Amino acid sequence: MLATIKCELKSFEDLAHSFAAKELTVNREENDRYPFGPFFDATLAKAYEVGLLGTILPEECGGIGQGMNALCIILDNLSAADASLGGIIFTNALSQEIILSAGCKDLLTGITGQATDAPSSLIACQSFCNAAEIKTQLMAVKNKDSYILNGTAEYVVLGGLAGHALVPAHIKEQEGYSFFLIDLKGKGITKSEPVFSLGLHSCPAVDVKLTEVKGTIIGRETEGSKYFDQASDRMHAAVAAMQCGIMKGSFQEALSYSQERLQGGWEIINWSGLRMLLAQMAMHVKIAEMVVSEAALAVEQHEPEWNICTRAAALHLSELACKLTTDGIQILGGYGYMKDYGQEKRFRDAKQVQALLGLAPMRKLGLISAIVKK
Amino acid sequence: MTEPGQYSIPKGGVMISPKESSILLNREPRFEDTFCSLQAIPRLPKGMLKETKDAIAYAKKFNDEVIRPLALDIDRQTYADPEYLPWDLVKKVNEWGFYTMFIPRLFGGQGINMPASSYVVEELASACVGIANVVGVHYLGVIGVMGSWNSALTNKIFRDVAEGQRTGNPCLISLAITEPGAGTDVEEVELIDKGRVSCYAQKVKGGYIVNGSKVFISMGHVSTWCCLIAYTDLKKPSDNTITFAVKTGTKGFSFGKHEDKMGQRCCPASELIFEDCFISDENVLSNSKEIPPSKTRNVREIVEQYIQYAVGVTRPAVGAFGTGVARGAYETALKFASETEVDGKLLINHEWAQIMLADMYKNVVIGRLSYIEANYSNGLPGGIYDILQMKPMYYYLKYVPKVFLDLFVSPFLKLKFMNRIFFKLYVDGQSVEEQRRCSGWSSLAKVVGTDMGMKNCQMALELMGQAGLRHENGAEKIMRDAKLLQIYEGTNQLNRINLFANLIGRSIPQAKAFEE
Ligand SMILES: Cc1cc2nc3c(=O)[nH]c(=O)nc-3n(C[C@H](O)[C@H](O)[C@H](O)COP(=O)(O)OP(=O)(O)OC[C@H]3O[C@@H](n4cnc5c(N)ncnc54)[C@H](O)[C@@H]3O)c2cc1C
Repeated sequence: MLATIKCELKSFEDLAHSFAAKELTVNREENDRYPFGPFFDATLAKAYEVGLLGTILPEECGGIGQGMNALCIILDNLSAADASLGGIIFTNALSQEIILSAGCKDLLTGITGQATDAPSSLIACQSFCNAAEIKTQLMAVKNKDSYILNGTAEYVVLGGLAGHALVPAHIKEQEGYSFFLIDLKGKGITKSEPVFSLGLHSCPAVDVKLTEVKGTIIGRETEGSKYFDQASDRMHAAVAAMQCGIMKGSFQEALSYSQERLQGGWEIINWSGLRMLLAQMAMHVKIAEMVVSEAALAVEQHEPEWNICTRAAALHLSELACKLTTDGIQILGGYGYMKDYGQEKRFRDAKQVQALLGLAPMRKLGLISAIVKK
Repeated sequence: MTEPGQYSIPKGGVMISPKESSILLNREPRFEDTFCSLQAIPRLPKGMLKETKDAIAYAKKFNDEVIRPLALDIDRQTYADPEYLPWDLVKKVNEWGFYTMFIPRLFGGQGINMPASSYVVEELASACVGIANVVGVHYLGVIGVMGSWNSALTNKIFRDVAEGQRTGNPCLISLAITEPGAGTDVEEVELIDKGRVSCYAQKVKGGYIVNGSKVFISMGHVSTWCCLIAYTDLKKPSDNTITFAVKTGTKGFSFGKHEDKMGQRCCPASELIFEDCFISDENVLSNSKEIPPSKTRNVREIVEQYIQYAVGVTRPAVGAFGTGVARGAYETALKFASETEVDGKLLINHEWAQIMLADMYKNVVIGRLSYIEANYSNGLPGGIYDILQMKPMYYYLKYVPKVFLDLFVSPFLKLKFMNRIFFKLYVDGQSVEEQRRCSGWSSLAKVVGTDMGMKNCQMALELMGQAGLRHENGAEKIMRDAKLLQIYEGTNQLNRINLFANLIGRSIPQAKAFEE
């Protein structure tokens, strides 16, 4: 990233970069086989050890208390190699952000304090869904000082491995929804097989069925949507950072391949038709870098309309990334379509990441609502 | 007053001579290249309509009974078992008769008109383009064989296919052109001499010894015959191209890996290995060294024409695959939008979603119009379908009893002079302008159809969000499957350049394609 590389953040960049090179790039193809191959437990454990899972968690809650800048730098660098770990970090950070915006720091401190390993420190959530758009199928009933939850939550990301999950539920006769923290190891939880999806295979989701499950309310009743929107405002910057990383990875792969592959008697980079595709990619990667730095900075400095910046950044970079990664395959010709070069994976991942935080067109429309409200 | 031989524009009264009219119509964009359907439709035998309708209905039934119930399961199975090969599927397709459907009756097939194959594959691809390829790739081989104008060998191979259907032992044909070091280069004669081809055929007594390998050959592992392109001189492949029909099991011919692909996973892409593989003279489909002199073209141009005849049929078919994919994505999104509430009302009642769906619908239609027009171009004089679609020929081949064809016509196909007749009809019978029209249109159809396919996949997933990501909902598979279409049968860039060369650059003498 450009402007945001400050001295103290350089170390995060180095950390993420070397982690990606050592842990992610080498096993990318193998890791992508999940759920038909093993899950990368060891890699996740290492990420936990070096603190990658708790970047934005305040220090008093057991995290490293960094801002959106650091998270973006990390996600950008990791996603250039393999966006799946980025998806895990993102989902966990989204849960944390929602809980923080509801003012429930103590809950986070508790979870981090009791965690003994990576999975138990994670909080699953439906990171691809804005519960205000699609009706939640969970019902909550108040029972003394806690709530009892029944129903199903679809596509709970990390639900198969995390210790806890954050789920939206409807309380009878109330408008909107509320968030609840549930213990995934507790009674009444039935998990589906891992959902097989387009991309981010090592950032898996499950459908969770809840039968008489005890839940702890997050913040106040019916205010789920408010907490989600606040967290989502910030986390859109992180979506932009992931897309930026995916784009970089795809561009680098295409650039180096085009300098090696011979067709028509010379390296294909010499065909100006192909070079134009590369030029387009280079342009979009640079734009992405600038956009991410600005968006992350806007969050940190609470610039006016910062939330519109982050949302615009995510939406725009997602569109660019979906376009760029298909060209990333195209430049490798038939080889780009095979698992061997990672290009097809980046293409799938970009499309998957585009769906984070809810339907893209609805989020686009939301921009205008946000602008008009002001 | 209009003088004899002159026409007047009805209202204006300005005179225009036939000569002037022809000059005007020959200006770019030339009438003949622009309005293919208008010129072609009046020439078509009426019977084609019913035949085509029946074929489409049959494809729809196949979708309902075979493809839809199987597509997602098979796709999933290929992840669980990387060694998966679609034997069962091929058997089913064979039972349904798809492998002989478009082979001329003259050669023992069902003889449904070839253009109908694109409507059929659009239909199949709308349900699963991977399975559509399990059906359609065979016709790549069929065209490769037929385009050699070697009637004896064509007759033998196609009758094997028919026999395979009768006995329930599928007999498929694959087409092997691409090599590890030469993909785009072997699709284009202008490039091939600069390329690094390696599949070498050395003449020996009674045949050839072939060494080298081919990659990405669709359905290689499960085909019985392979239409193999090799070269008798690796330094100048354009003048030394040889095409063989090689049977699986031939000594020295083996399979390497089949690829781990992003999509179309039920349709394997195979590596073919030739190690001192002896192929007898009888199995030579065509050899550029033995091409008789032609008034219209030199050897290199005839090889180019051969390739163009083949891709002239297969590229519109890939456009039809793309159109089918665009349709599949659209239909999946439409179903989702009709059933899912977003923000308190059905998605389909959000105006923005309606506009998106309208765009998707439009993309399907544009894709279809393009490949249809390319088909019509192939049915005009000089096009590959022209002779078969002449009314007497069409009805003769359609209605003459099969036994008659088999007993009295088929034996003639074994005679060498038949090759000469086909050669005269198809090589000298096609003008350079006609070749360009067909080639340009086929590239256009390929690019448009496949780009529309990808566009609609992107849109469908945007519309469906989280639901679109799940394998069981089908949308994400359509997208993985779709991307291949922009790559094979010549990448979409190559096809754009070919479109330029044939429909744009041809009338600008200083324009040169494939040279930088
Ligand atoms: C799943 C699959 C199935 C296939 N099935 C078959 C089959 O059945 N039979 C068969 O013979 N082949 C088959 N192919 C091969 C296919 O036709 C080739 O992949 C395709 O022609 C591209 O060749 P390539 O992959 O070697 O890419 P390359 O030719 O190496 O191209 C790489 C990139 O360079 C670009 N490029 C190359 N030359 C130029 C140029 N002159 N100007 C501008 N850009 C250029 C290309 O557009 C592309 O973007 C299949 C491929 C796949 C992936």
